[in-house]
Amino acid sequence: MSHGAARVFARAWLASLCLLAVAALSHPARAADAALIAAAKKEGQLTWYTTQIINQFARPAAEAFEKKYGIKVNYVRANSNEVALRVLNEGRARNMQADVFDGTTATASLKKEGLVAKWLPDNVSRLPKEYVDQEGYWVATNLYVLTPGYNTELVKKGSEPRTFQDLLDPKYKGKLVWNSTSSSSAAPGFVAVVLASMGEEKGTAYLRELAKQNVAGLAVAARQVLDQVIAGEYAIALNIFNNHAVISAAKGAPVDWIPMQPALGVLSVISVTKDAPHPNAGRLFLEFLISEEGQKIYRAADYLPVDPNVPPKDLSLRPDGEKFKVVFKTPEEIDREMPRWTQLYQSIFR
Amino acid sequence: MTTEWTANNERELVEDRSLRRFLPQDERVIFALLLGVVFAALVLPPLFFLAKGALTVTADGVTRFSLERFTRILAERGIWTSALNSVLFALGSAVLAILIGGVNAWLVERTDTPFKPLAYLTTIISLGTPYVLYTSAWLLLLARSGPINSWYREVTGETGVLINVYGLGGMILIEGLLWSPLVFLLLGSTLRNFNPELEEAARMSGAGTFDTIRRITMRLSLPSILALAMLVFIRSIEAFEVPALVGLPGRVHVLTTDIYDLMHRTMPPDIGSASTLSLVLLGVVAVLLYYYGRMTRNAEKFATITGKSFRPNKLALGWMRYPAAAILVLNFLLLLVLPILILVWASLLPFYQTVRSSAFRLLTFENYARVFESDRYLYLLGNTFLIAIVTATVVMSLTAVAAWLTVRRVPGAKALDQLGTVPLVFPGIVLGVGVMQLFLQVPIGIYGTIWIIVWAFVINYLPYGTRYSFAGMLQVHRELEEAAAISGASPFTGFRRVVMPLLAPSLIAGWLFIFLLATRVLALPVLLSGPSSQTMAVAMFDLWSNGQGPELAALGLLWSLAMTTIALIFYFFARRSGVGMYGQA
Repeated sequence: MSHGAARVFARAWLASLCLLAVAALSHPARAADAALIAAAKKEGQLTWYTTQIINQFARPAAEAFEKKYGIKVNYVRANSNEVALRVLNEGRARNMQADVFDGTTATASLKKEGLVAKWLPDNVSRLPKEYVDQEGYWVATNLYVLTPGYNTELVKKGSEPRTFQDLLDPKYKGKLVWNSTSSSSAAPGFVAVVLASMGEEKGTAYLRELAKQNVAGLAVAARQVLDQVIAGEYAIALNIFNNHAVISAAKGAPVDWIPMQPALGVLSVISVTKDAPHPNAGRLFLEFLISEEGQKIYRAADYLPVDPNVPPKDLSLRPDGEKFKVVFKTPEEIDREMPRWTQLYQSIFR
Repeated sequence: MTTEWTANNERELVEDRSLRRFLPQDERVIFALLLGVVFAALVLPPLFFLAKGALTVTADGVTRFSLERFTRILAERGIWTSALNSVLFALGSAVLAILIGGVNAWLVERTDTPFKPLAYLTTIISLGTPYVLYTSAWLLLLARSGPINSWYREVTGETGVLINVYGLGGMILIEGLLWSPLVFLLLGSTLRNFNPELEEAARMSGAGTFDTIRRITMRLSLPSILALAMLVFIRSIEAFEVPALVGLPGRVHVLTTDIYDLMHRTMPPDIGSASTLSLVLLGVVAVLLYYYGRMTRNAEKFATITGKSFRPNKLALGWMRYPAAAILVLNFLLLLVLPILILVWASLLPFYQTVRSSAFRLLTFENYARVFESDRYLYLLGNTFLIAIVTATVVMSLTAVAAWLTVRRVPGAKALDQLGTVPLVFPGIVLGVGVMQLFLQVPIGIYGTIWIIVWAFVINYLPYGTRYSFAGMLQVHRELEEAAAISGASPFTGFRRVVMPLLAPSLIAGWLFIFLLATRVLALPVLLSGPSSQTMAVAMFDLWSNGQGPELAALGLLWSLAMTTIALIFYFFARRSGVGMYGQA
């Protein structure tokens, strides 16, 4: 290092120390933030691989962040599988493009591959502990609650099935539908919740009874299954995201969801990638989404925020643990147990 | 191959010794070689990743050779039933597509049936419509809650259904309809450039109209028919959306839906399983190609564009014109009017409802307003167009030369044809992952740009280009180039000045087809697009996976309108150049 450069470096270092000290004195709790913000601004941009719908959430969130920090968010939208494939291939080729990625199940396997950074912002401490990875690799941004949903023209409101046993009524034969793929928002997710609430033996016996109802299985996303119910092709979808029913019902669609006990809860989690090209901007963005400000964007999009202080627009959507119970499955549990649930589904329903 | 070529050459020499001087084979061989390198660079890397995915397993960080995936797939429950269903489905779809497309092409090109423009309109618009939109349109029409079944219930008071679309029959119907415009387009260009002498000879020898069609017209179109049947067969074996939406509710499983299940049982998706199935498929296709190659070995027999000028005669149908016109109108209704109507209906609703009076109060233009308001679509349009134009141009340029070299039996050129057909067996996701891995490891900076999508598309559409060029090339008799050679033209001048213009209708048809395909295919762009290379397909996929069907219908219809305009312009030019070249009316 030349003499001049060393002097510039020393000055910059001193200046940043002073800045830090001032920041620390004025806002003790925000000390880390100031350094992070400065480093993030220097990077100027970040790339976010997301499973969130662009016009509902990805774009508003990116715009809010850009407005606040002046850091550009490049988002790429794909479903969980594709996000996982991209991160996996980029990581293996040591050419990581993504700084931040989200999804419901991909994180667990990418963690095993060593492609997820072990980093969480301080603001996660205010969240319920089941929403934060104990090992420190991910934090949930929002919840999905999976319940049955039904067409209110084909099944009159008030007469809808309220319990698992109700679904065995012969009048529903051939009118039930679910997603047949290996996903938590598909038949295996329903299998999981039945096993969790009834136990292995009773649960399996129940599923055998349910198989007699000729449940139609579609290899499409849960959202499309619900759309078929709205269109009237089937009366009841067994395992849908309950906020989807609310979003559609708000537009006037003849659909509602059933708070069947217990429901399956799935976390949409977010992480910073290992070897991210813009690690600080990525971290700042993650922190932003978890902050109260970020959580309000989820709320505005009719999603279920994880922040206890940001209630969802429709309060009944969120399980309260008393009247509406939910079995939560972490990404790790889903990753581990999915093959078993799928196996059981295949052997009983195919 | 070499012996065959030598034999050919000997014959030429015997026929006309002086020709040998004008047709230096080696110059074309160099071109064949260069083109071979390009084809190999395109096709082999994904093929390598395919084989690697299928034949290796990785445990604890160690990758080793294994046939485990094959045994696992063979042990899947009901895999043989699925395989049988796949074959029945593909066969049925191919036959239906050839039947509908073929009958229409013959009526339009070779008879005096009225209402011909309807057939072109149907084809052009349907080629411009995204598949996901088309499939859902027919499903909406034929579903249990669809208009046909609801009206049946209203009229008869029954509670059941008139048509049960969920099953093998429904799958074949929708897939066959989906592919018939392609058949129409390609068979049409074959039939249009037909030398009528042989048909006239048959008729003069006392053959009736029917016999002439069966023994002359059909036989001469055989290479095109077979090529198309094979294309539709392979694409249907790989089809996913129709089996998933139409087959599964009726408990009809096929290989693709099984493999989808298998792939998604683990996270991230198990590409190896998909690769294994593709490898099996590759074997099947290789066998099919072998027989196809044998059938078209004596390609000259099928050459119908010769040095003699001709005017394909149009059969006067007499009173049969009316039933013939009815077929064209029916096709128009089935392929165009009904799907478009139901899509227009869907696009005017805030959420999808079947056609009924109570839903009329919901009608709104909100979906269209949302499409027009979003400035994002304009940017997506630019990207999508650029990708499609470059892809179509590259593919048709490469395959035109390849087809010429292949049909003229230049040594080694047969391999070009085979290489060009291999990508037919890549499922979208396997090809996407292969290309992705290639450019992550070869850092020339195209990962995450639109050029990686172009690269994948060129590979993906090479088989279509190959078929279009090959079928066109088969019709051009070598005597035309030989005439050019005798007049002192080099083989390439001959190609450029004689073959290319004659090939133009096929090339333009192929270009158009690839252009339209590249603008509407979902799987590849969704996997390969980066932050600055989003395409229309990604936006459509987003709407589709988010249950915004009505907005998708609105966007799709506007999109189809734009595409149709482009398609019409091109078709007009293609026809005009055709008029100039063949003196056809």
